[in-house]
Amino acid sequence: MSTSLTGEQGLADAVKAAFGDKVVGIKSKSKRVKITVDKDILPDVARFIRDNLDFDHLISVDGTDYPKDNTIELIYHITSIEKEEQRKYILSLATKLPRDSPVSPSLIQVWPAAEYHERETFEMLGVTFTGHPKLEKLLLPDDWLDIPPLRKEFRLPGR
Amino acid sequence: MSEPTDFEEFLKRVVTIVFWILLIVPIIVLPLLFFGSEILQALQLLVNANSIFILINKAQNPFLAFELMDSLGQGPCIATATYQPSAGCNPTFFRIVIFPGFTFVALLTLWLGWFERKLAAKVHMRYGPLYAGRISGVLQPIADILKLLGKELIIPAKADKPFFIAVPLLTMGISAALLTLIPLSERVYVVPPASASLGLLVLFAVLGFYPIIILMGAWASSNKFSFIGGLRALHQLVSYEIPWFLAVLGVVVLTSSLDPFQIVRAQSKIWFIVPQFIAAFVFLTATLAELERIPFDLPEADTEIVFGWLTEYGGMFWGILFGLSPFIKLYVFSGLFTILFLGGWLGPAFLPPEIWFILKTFVVITVIMFSRVFNPRIRIDLLIRVGWVYLILLAVINLFIAVGLKAFGVL
Amino acid sequence: MTSVARSLPFPTEVIVGDKLSISIGPQHPGSGHFRIIVVLEGDIVSEAIPDPGYVHRGAEKMCEFRNFVQNVPMLERTTLPDANGIIFPYILAVEELMGIQAPPRAQYLRIISAELNRIVSHLYWLGIYGVFLGHSTMFLWPMGDRELFMDLIQTVGGTRVTPSYIIPGGARNDLPDNFKDKALKAFGYFERRLKEYDRIFFSNPLVLKRSQGVGVLKRSEAIALGITGPNLRGSGLKSDTRKDEPYSMYETLDFDIPSYPDGDCWARGMVRFHELYWSMQIIKQAVEKMPSGPFRSRLPLLTARAPAGEAVARTEAARGCMSYYVVSDGTSKPYRVRVSVPSFRNMIGIPYLLKGGHLADVPAIYWSLDYWPVEADK
Repeated sequence: MSTSLTGEQGLADAVKAAFGDKVVGIKSKSKRVKITVDKDILPDVARFIRDNLDFDHLISVDGTDYPKDNTIELIYHITSIEKEEQRKYILSLATKLPRDSPVSPSLIQVWPAAEYHERETFEMLGVTFTGHPKLEKLLLPDDWLDIPPLRKEFRLPGR
Repeated sequence: MSEPTDFEEFLKRVVTIVFWILLIVPIIVLPLLFFGSEILQALQLLVNANSIFILINKAQNPFLAFELMDSLGQGPCIATATYQPSAGCNPTFFRIVIFPGFTFVALLTLWLGWFERKLAAKVHMRYGPLYAGRISGVLQPIADILKLLGKELIIPAKADKPFFIAVPLLTMGISAALLTLIPLSERVYVVPPASASLGLLVLFAVLGFYPIIILMGAWASSNKFSFIGGLRALHQLVSYEIPWFLAVLGVVVLTSSLDPFQIVRAQSKIWFIVPQFIAAFVFLTATLAELERIPFDLPEADTEIVFGWLTEYGGMFWGILFGLSPFIKLYVFSGLFTILFLGGWLGPAFLPPEIWFILKTFVVITVIMFSRVFNPRIRIDLLIRVGWVYLILLAVINLFIAVGLKAFGVL
Repeated sequence: MTSVARSLPFPTEVIVGDKLSISIGPQHPGSGHFRIIVVLEGDIVSEAIPDPGYVHRGAEKMCEFRNFVQNVPMLERTTLPDANGIIFPYILAVEELMGIQAPPRAQYLRIISAELNRIVSHLYWLGIYGVFLGHSTMFLWPMGDRELFMDLIQTVGGTRVTPSYIIPGGARNDLPDNFKDKALKAFGYFERRLKEYDRIFFSNPLVLKRSQGVGVLKRSEAIALGITGPNLRGSGLKSDTRKDEPYSMYETLDFDIPSYPDGDCWARGMVRFHELYWSMQIIKQAVEKMPSGPFRSRLPLLTARAPAGEAVARTEAARGCMSYYVVSDGTSKPYRVRVSVPSFRNMIGIPYLLKGGHLADVPAIYWSLDYWPVEADK
């Protein structure tokens, strides 16, 4: 099923071939591929990456706040375990969310490991994951009433 | 730190003097007051090259001793004063309270605590107690007891207070009652030979109270961890008492007696550990479980249920429940093992029989203590399976061997 | 601190139907700064809910207000037993962003310090694992022998717990002359001790009873749940970042990745037990193969700027694959640092493995995953 892959470019090409223009951007450097897609096809791309490219091991989910572009970039870092020759790659699956109402489909069905990572992103950046079974505070205190702390307008006291 | 002022120096001296008075009065002065004439008589007997211990042969009711011991929680002197108004010279009381009874065993067990800590420290490659008492920290247990006595007794707000307080006292009473049934020799005993014909039965009966008291403490604490620990203790004690009784039954069959004196006398030819080695193994394993020592310390498993049924007990309550009472029980069970399997006080004549008994008991205690440093904690389902399946099976096999030996007249 | 507003099913009554829920932690001898709410049905755990966050300090946010170099001592405080291992990928990511290359000698120095920290961390784990199973000797022996390696870390980096030894551009200082003799002496002693560990603990029949077949994590589940490090290797996968994506100079060293197919607590323990041995072999080889030369390229300035860009770097820390995602916007402070710690990734295994087990297995399973609350909370 899986396509013949030759390095980072092969991975990028495989995704591009499957999803065409919906892939917003692809960056690749040594052992790292970053694929930016539209959030509507995020679950489809994730499933494709897992099933066809054998990227089955989620490293982390993280978000970066870009107030200048009014976006929050949500990134899933995935690597492969079953395919030994692919273990050296880290594939970053990114999507851009609007900063005012960051809502993204949860990828917990694709990678069950995303459960706590998505909860952390939810409380730290305020990204809502639709389809997550238990989107609650994880690390922050329960009485946290401030804005999500990893937003750029949250300033540390004294800094 | 500044230089000690005169006042601090004075305080230190007062504390030291009070400490020595507290130590000396119960051990020397009180016995002298109560039993002065008795001791003089004993010294006379000693001068006459007679035994110090042949004092009175009148039969005593063992249950009388229990009643006395049960009220001991209030303090020994008051108990005597109320129980025996005319007591000026009462050897039974001396035996119960001083030697070979409570004070002797309490001091012995205090020292056993120190010994266990040193033993474990040697295996762990560390020092253990080092400073108190200058010589390897021998006075550490006394320092610990003094510290515990000075602590506040905290009773949880939601606890069932009367039961909560009763549990340490009852545990102490039961431990003390058990030790009255362990004679040191033919001449040193609490319960005399004439009334000890059902000694083992009484011991089992007293031991049967123990799970109930634990459950009482666990329930009265109104703490979930206490409750789980109490249930664990109940399961454990019930599943290990039966193989324990069955193991003893082999010896009882061989000697046709429940009397510890008779059992020891029957071992003059051969110690029962040789024909009854299975029983000895079962007994020792069940003893570990009864004592709640590693690998069977589930009721107090600290990483699982904080401190089990002892979670809410602090201060001297803890000192009694975890310090004094288990060590007294350790002494009692080791002494019982010595009586049942190691020939009790029998031994070559160059040492007095009491010394033989204490030496053998000490060996058994050391063996029991060593299991702690080598083993992890066992799980409750494994524990119950071992108790109800393997140990009972072994004990029954052993019983057949005992009956066979008896029927064919080998022993 | 924890208010009742949280919708976690924290019990207000003692017994709900047939279920009893107890809170293991944060004030519990077997939890650390962490809470597991365990719902019991008899002695069987019907549900386990982890509740982290008691030591959350916001390391990721603090990173954005400090320079690249200032972040080194700050980030390593998340996991003090494994300080060098935890900071390693951050340094790699920052070097990638800044375009610095560490000299070969520095690469070996980093390997030595990281492997020493791996040994220390595993010994710490072993001691706590021993006492969690109720084995008092196995608590005190590793804690005592750990001092040997703490001394070695002190010899290498100057301090025992907060070395800040690996810095962008190389290592902070060179190896002292007496390190080799001292290390070989310690390793000779410790290899003998490993046999004794095996005899008293890993071959003890009661330990086998307690750990074999307990908390079984199947191979496929381990991959799906994103489990990493020794826990992954305990499930039969020979995956280690040191082999998968060799960084520094690991490709020049000859070592094996221990792996056990059972997936239970015992297998996870044995993986770590063998890693103790292999880490010593790695240090021995690294000391031999280390070329002479500079130990750092240049002193990094506090105000060193990194060109705009982003980098993902990962290494194998003691608890598993440690990875950092660093974004720079061209200033001297990182725009965003994402710390992806192995403990946080392994936390999902706690509710998964505890479910259906006995209450007595809770500490065994919990600690066999080597969950370090301070690391997971960041």
